[in-house]
Amino acid sequence: MAEDKKETIVLVTSDEEQYTVEKKVAERSVLIKSMMEDLGAHQDMQVPLPNVSSSVLVKVLQYCEHHKNDPLPAPDANDQDDARRKTAEIGEWDAKFIQVDQEMLFEIILAANYLDIKPLLDVGCKTVANMIKGKTPEEIRKLFNITNDFTAEEEEQIRKENEWAEDR
Amino acid sequence: MPAASTSGSNWREPTKDEKPPKDADLKTAWAFLRVGVEHIMTRIHLGMSYSYYILLYTAIYDFCTQNRPSASAFGGGRGTGANLQGAELYRSLHNYFSDHCKDLKEESEKLSDLELLKFYAREWDRYTTGATYVNKLFNYLNKHWVKREKDEGRKEVYTVYTLALVAWKTNFFRFFQGTNGTSRLTQSLLKQIEHQRNGDAVDSGLLKRVIDSYVMLGLDESDAQRQQLDVYREYFQEPFILATAAYYKAESAAFSSNNSVSDYMKRAETRLQEEVDRVNLYLHDTTTKELKETCEKVLIAAHSDLMWDEFQSLLDGDRSDDLTRMYGLLMRIPNGLEPLRKKFEEHVKKAGLAAVQRVLPAPGAVNEAGKAESLDPKAYVEALLEVHSTYGEVVNGPFRAELGFNASLDRACREYCNANAAATTSTKSPELLASYCDQLLRKSNKDLDAEALEAALEQAMVIFKFIDDKDVFQKFYQKKLAQRLISSASASDDSESSMITKLKELSGFDYTNKLMKMFQDVNIGRDITERFKNKERTMGVQSDVEGTFMVLGTNFWPLAPQATDYSVPREILPTYERFVKFYGEAHNGRKLTWLWHVSKTELRTTYLYQKYIFMTSAYQMAILVQFNENDSLTYRDIQTATRISETILKPQLALLVKAKVLLQEDDTYDLNLNFKSKKIRVQLNQPVRSEQKAEATEVLTAVDEDRKFVYQATIVRLMKARKTMKHHALIQEVTATISSKFTPKVPEIKRAIDHLIDKEYLERGADDKDTYNYLA
Repeated sequence: MAEDKKETIVLVTSDEEQYTVEKKVAERSVLIKSMMEDLGAHQDMQVPLPNVSSSVLVKVLQYCEHHKNDPLPAPDANDQDDARRKTAEIGEWDAKFIQVDQEMLFEIILAANYLDIKPLLDVGCKTVANMIKGKTPEEIRKLFNITNDFTAEEEEQIRKENEWAEDR
Repeated sequence: MPAASTSGSNWREPTKDEKPPKDADLKTAWAFLRVGVEHIMTRIHLGMSYSYYILLYTAIYDFCTQNRPSASAFGGGRGTGANLQGAELYRSLHNYFSDHCKDLKEESEKLSDLELLKFYAREWDRYTTGATYVNKLFNYLNKHWVKREKDEGRKEVYTVYTLALVAWKTNFFRFFQGTNGTSRLTQSLLKQIEHQRNGDAVDSGLLKRVIDSYVMLGLDESDAQRQQLDVYREYFQEPFILATAAYYKAESAAFSSNNSVSDYMKRAETRLQEEVDRVNLYLHDTTTKELKETCEKVLIAAHSDLMWDEFQSLLDGDRSDDLTRMYGLLMRIPNGLEPLRKKFEEHVKKAGLAAVQRVLPAPGAVNEAGKAESLDPKAYVEALLEVHSTYGEVVNGPFRAELGFNASLDRACREYCNANAAATTSTKSPELLASYCDQLLRKSNKDLDAEALEAALEQAMVIFKFIDDKDVFQKFYQKKLAQRLISSASASDDSESSMITKLKELSGFDYTNKLMKMFQDVNIGRDITERFKNKERTMGVQSDVEGTFMVLGTNFWPLAPQATDYSVPREILPTYERFVKFYGEAHNGRKLTWLWHVSKTELRTTYLYQKYIFMTSAYQMAILVQFNENDSLTYRDIQTATRISETILKPQLALLVKAKVLLQEDDTYDLNLNFKSKKIRVQLNQPVRSEQKAEATEVLTAVDEDRKFVYQATIVRLMKARKTMKHHALIQEVTATISSKFTPKVPEIKRAIDHLIDKEYLERGADDKDTYNYLA
């Protein structure tokens, strides 16, 4: 990255770490993009991100850097969006990228939601979906450390209602 | 947008320490957010820092993602799905917008007219700009809570921007609508528009900003992307159209009573254009149609009588600009042009009749020979053409070549071309036109070069198109063509065949078939003469008679031998006999009929001091060669020798006497041995006046004969196809079929039917006398 003419902005994480980021990379976040559109460019202005920790931001920026040249999803382009969301396929790079521990996975999902980075949110959610796929409720509870708070009757009722969906 | 600044206001941006905690309740969260929203809605020009923006966004995000029991905006907590907070935030925002608009409403109440418009436009701009920012800031609310509510079919939940417009409409805009109809805001607009129509300067940009807000307030509740024009139509367009109609009704009434029609039309034209411009300046495009119709009704239709009445004087005065303007106005309204077309047709017809009247020889006028002056075909055709071209220019200019006016012009021309002071019968025009063409195509016509001749023929075809009795033209034209060809009087073969091609294009192959055949015969004749001469040469025939021969197909040429005997003079008899033999050998079985009356000869004199060449008819030649043996002969001698019948012989002798070649004393003719002439070549072959007179009658008789066959052939063709037809239907169809050739007459059709019944081609129906049957 020899070109130093690139516009940059400074992102400040919840733990007060500063990251100088190429504007184009930061704009993968719709939040940052529309903010800059509306408020105009402020030279060397800091953007505090109180809901994102540095360990997560580093990861998110990795993703944004890799995808900085992708076409931005059009706002309200729901049809196209749905089509993309429906395929369980995750790209090769993305699949490798998202191979993180469970805690980090959820942190990424939360950050993507907060920063409004739709494609990253989708990658995260699809990964979770793939983890659940083919597992019994008991296995899932174990995987995500969930306590079963249903009574036996409730559980039977739910199982009955969802019988049609069972993979037999 | 400048960075956060404190200049000129008490505004101080809150810091992150003031941000509510993640689990803040509505009161705390909204207190923080309200300050930010207020800043954006009213002071955004002062700017905002990134960090404050993010703090506001985060506060919204935090509030919406709080893990609390879900609550919908309209109560009734539904337990399904993830928890989406937002109802309370949405309601707070809605209240904020409403309060803001109520304040504006109060402020506006003391304003009116221009002040009101200025205030409204300024506030609208600020409000919509702010709402755009707030909408994005509340993106998380829009994308999750609002979307979920809408997906679940909840009406009256909008994205934040739409919510802002709804609040504007409900709490501010709607209140302009007083109890008495038109909105106060709209009235202010209409007043400005009236000022502008009166010629005062008006801020069009201001009007546009206000009017655009009407368009944007037309919200489609179910789909924010779609534009609804109902607010614009109801609150603005309807009163605007009414005001427009009233304004122009009053103006046009006043103006037209004080000004000429011509000035009125100019004013109307300007006004119509101004209203088109008005749409571009500040109205919505969809208003174009209704505004145009309204103006046309008030400015044109309401004054159409005035214009129709003026039309004749514009035509008379040749007022091209006014005619253009009148056409341009009246073409916009339904049935506006029809009265003009009728008047125009009548006018052209009168002009045509008057033009013919002008070229007619004065009654009683005589030419040098003391005969009644006859109408010059050239002057006649040119008069017809002049009117056609004058009004053709009017049609193509002021009337923009409109079809209806073209039809009127054609109808008028057809009328005056076929019946006028010169053409007292329908056969007269075709005859004069044929004579005109003859004049053009003759060698003697030296005025025109090839190009001008072609143009003149083209013009003649214009009149030809209007001629009803095309068969009459055909007969006269054929007759004249025959004369030109036989006497080699054509200006050029190219022009002749060009004319035939033109006629063929308009009237078809059948119409010109004979003309083409005649043309071909002349060329074949040259060839035959050539071959005959070659043969004479190879056979070593010595003769002091030289001849050229034309062999003309009997069926194609309008020529018949005259009713007389003719004793072929012995001077040419050997050549005559050798040619007959030669032709008989070449074309076995063909019968040659000699047309002496159109044959010409050249005789060299040997009996006079000076040598002359007499150019004579074959009849004169037969007479003169008798004087090779005698210097004096009686009429009886000549008649016996030549065997020419008296009706022809006498006039021919008279011509020779008149030319002083022969001297007459009672019954005796003497060769004038002292004949003198200034020219070496003496033209003795003068037309005989009675023949000229007879010609026209002869042609018309031939036309009548032909028509009988046309009637009969048409009837038979129709009956053969239909087998049986009612009398009335038959007459109608025959008339329709024939009228391209000439104007059929019903009595003639009836006569033809009777004739066909006599000949047993047809019979009357046994039960129904009104029906004819075809007999195979």
